Amino acid sequence: MKFVSRLFSAAAALLILASLAAGCFAAPAASAGESRPDGQVEVLRLEGGTDWGAPTPFQCQSRGPGTAKMELVYASLLEKDETGDIGWLAESWTVDGKDYTFTLRQGAAFQDGEPLTADDVAFTIDYYNAHPPVSNPLAAGTDACILEGYTVVDERTITLTVKAPDGDTLTSLGSFEILPRHVWESVEDPYTYTGEGWLTGSGAWACTAYDGPTGSYEFTAVNDFCAGTQAAARIQFVPASDALLAFENGEIDITGVPADLLDRYRADESLGFVEKADDTGYKLLINFDECPEFLDIALRQAVYAALDRQAVVDKVFRGAGSVGSAGYVPRSSLYYSPDCVEYPYDPEAARAVLADKNLSVTLLAADSGSDVAIAELIQLDLEAAGVAVTVESYDSATRDSMVNGGDYQFALVGNGGWGNNPPTYLRTIFSDVSKNQGGNPHSMGPIGYENAEITALAEGQRTETDFEARKAMFQQLQVLISREIPLIVIANQSSYSMYRKDCYDGWMKTYAYQQAEQNRLSYMLR
Amino acid sequence: MGKAIRGGWGPILILCAGLLALTAFFAWGALAWPCSPTQPSGASLEAPGAAHWLGTDDLGIDIYAQLSQGFFASMSLGLACGALTGLIGGGLGMLAGYKGGGVQAAVDLAVQVFLAVPQLPVLIVLGAFWGQDRRLVIGLIAAFSWAPVAKQTAAKTRSAAHRTYVQAARSWGANSWYILKNHLAAEVLPVVLVGALAVVGKAILQESALAYLGLSDPTAKSWGLMINRASRFAGIYFTDYWKWWLAAPVAALMLTILFTRLLARRLEQRLLEGDV
Repeated sequence: MKFVSRLFSAAAALLILASLAAGCFAAPAASAGESRPDGQVEVLRLEGGTDWGAPTPFQCQSRGPGTAKMELVYASLLEKDETGDIGWLAESWTVDGKDYTFTLRQGAAFQDGEPLTADDVAFTIDYYNAHPPVSNPLAAGTDACILEGYTVVDERTITLTVKAPDGDTLTSLGSFEILPRHVWESVEDPYTYTGEGWLTGSGAWACTAYDGPTGSYEFTAVNDFCAGTQAAARIQFVPASDALLAFENGEIDITGVPADLLDRYRADESLGFVEKADDTGYKLLINFDECPEFLDIALRQAVYAALDRQAVVDKVFRGAGSVGSAGYVPRSSLYYSPDCVEYPYDPEAARAVLADKNLSVTLLAADSGSDVAIAELIQLDLEAAGVAVTVESYDSATRDSMVNGGDYQFALVGNGGWGNNPPTYLRTIFSDVSKNQGGNPHSMGPIGYENAEITALAEGQRTETDFEARKAMFQQLQVLISREIPLIVIANQSSYSMYRKDCYDGWMKTYAYQQAEQNRLSYMLR
Repeated sequence: MGKAIRGGWGPILILCAGLLALTAFFAWGALAWPCSPTQPSGASLEAPGAAHWLGTDDLGIDIYAQLSQGFFASMSLGLACGALTGLIGGGLGMLAGYKGGGVQAAVDLAVQVFLAVPQLPVLIVLGAFWGQDRRLVIGLIAAFSWAPVAKQTAAKTRSAAHRTYVQAARSWGANSWYILKNHLAAEVLPVVLVGALAVVGKAILQESALAYLGLSDPTAKSWGLMINRASRFAGIYFTDYWKWWLAAPVAALMLTILFTRLLARRLEQRLLEGDV
């Protein structure tokens, strides 16, 4: 499976290179010589160097940096700002029971100039049902699809009818990216397609260069985009062996700040910062099919007791973070429940439970970021408690593929977005009917473990529209998760992005997502 | 001693002394140093001091202890690769050189194929699929190192096999094994030894490269992995940490490879003067 996956990746890379050579990219809509709108900068440069896939809904990587690039090229009906959902391709919408009616903006068009109509929206839904995209807010093509049907009212108006409306329905309906029917209706396999129009999007940016092996991307602002004006004529993701050096040398305009150097850069008033509190988190997944002995909750409690999770915060995060709540939602979240069960570091208690069990596990980790260091600390702690641990590391995409395929015993998974608001990921991780659907890390839940009470709460919170009642359900769910321990929460990391204010100052966080570099509105004049 | 130096053995002795000093330095670290190479024994990123001569890494593990374990891990891997290379390359080279004909053609073809294949890219690809096993890494490096040794050994064997005393032995009915053992082995052995020694340094470098690229046991205390971990620490060049966390394994790697490669070169000049 891994071999096939890698072979496929290599073949895809070759295809993409071939496409590059054939000049298959959409023509840039703006050129360097043209006059720019007031406030628009010539180019924004960010750290590249990783292949996050081609920026199409079918070929991007499932993680944030991959889908964010795709979302520059493709647009959805709605977008998120600091406080709520706003119109994007849709200028207005109404809700009537199960019917959500969206009216497209006047002048909405694809990047090749073809008009974007309600017919394209309808086609996109049908096409996604036949070919589910990487990021799939409609759950199209699955039993959990939220849509019952649609009605094209006129060229600019479409009514989407859902099976059961809930608190997240509007956001989900507004989040799927619209495809050009005239390109995709003749494409049978969108997961490998690189032919005519494959990067013709509906978004504010045309992909004008993509080189997978070097992780280089260039996006060029599309003229007369219907939902606003871009903040830069071009966005480039350039390979950088050391992001901080590249930032110091002016090669990139925004980068992460290591915790050790935060004070040093804080003193520089020309720099701006975006704080991402507890937004990255690490969890330890147990594949209970492979390790059925851990279905005994006493062993999972002992694993918690064995782990010095504060050491992860102190040594790996350099103090910038917090020990993870066993209820999963970070302690700094509005939704965090202080009633969650705490599992302090107690190596003697862990050893008393685990030492005579003769346990041996393989721990899967990614070979990037802080993963190996955290895996090593976990290995040391578990071995001290009497569990033999072998660490195996792979690149992040392979690790994700193995986790989703259940090809692991223990797996360390780290990702951003833990600070999302509201914490709807509790459903996709812990609900027995919604977890492990697709490659997104927020869909990676425990395998071989079921809990009807958790599933009922995780699914039930969707239909609760009262804020306080829903928050109470989230908190009740966290307490249950902390007691039942379907997975082990290691720690949350806080981080900062740093940018030069005189170069560009428009970086923003949405109400639901703190990663400023991955938010579309960060690249728009506002 | 003076005669030895005049005869060209001086640099070899100096290099051997250097390697011995390195070995002694790291043997102390591996056997007598109180800190563990795998368990944290200090604060995170502690600067060099009395308790930790070369400081600690981000997890608080002693750098000197890690370097010492890494030295023996690297040297044992290098020596294993060298031995395996000597066996394969020496054996096939002698066979080809002595038998000639179809055997020689087959070995020559294999040698040309392995010499033509770019080693590191292939090692990276193979390592990506199977590389997290140390025995496999040894096998892979040896598989891509035996060809030059076989080529030189075959040439030397062919030359030796045409000597009068070998021809005489053959005409008196000596079998192949007898001739190889009693007449050719002594002539060919220095070629094999020098070739194998050259592989030791190369193997250490290649294993470090694979480890640096993350294609080895991710928690092993190898120098390549130490360099990988340190160089990937965000902003390390804007802190003092690189001075002990990164510089120490780089210096250890450079010194060890320098000594082994210079030693192999000097021995080649000394033992094979005029032969190859």
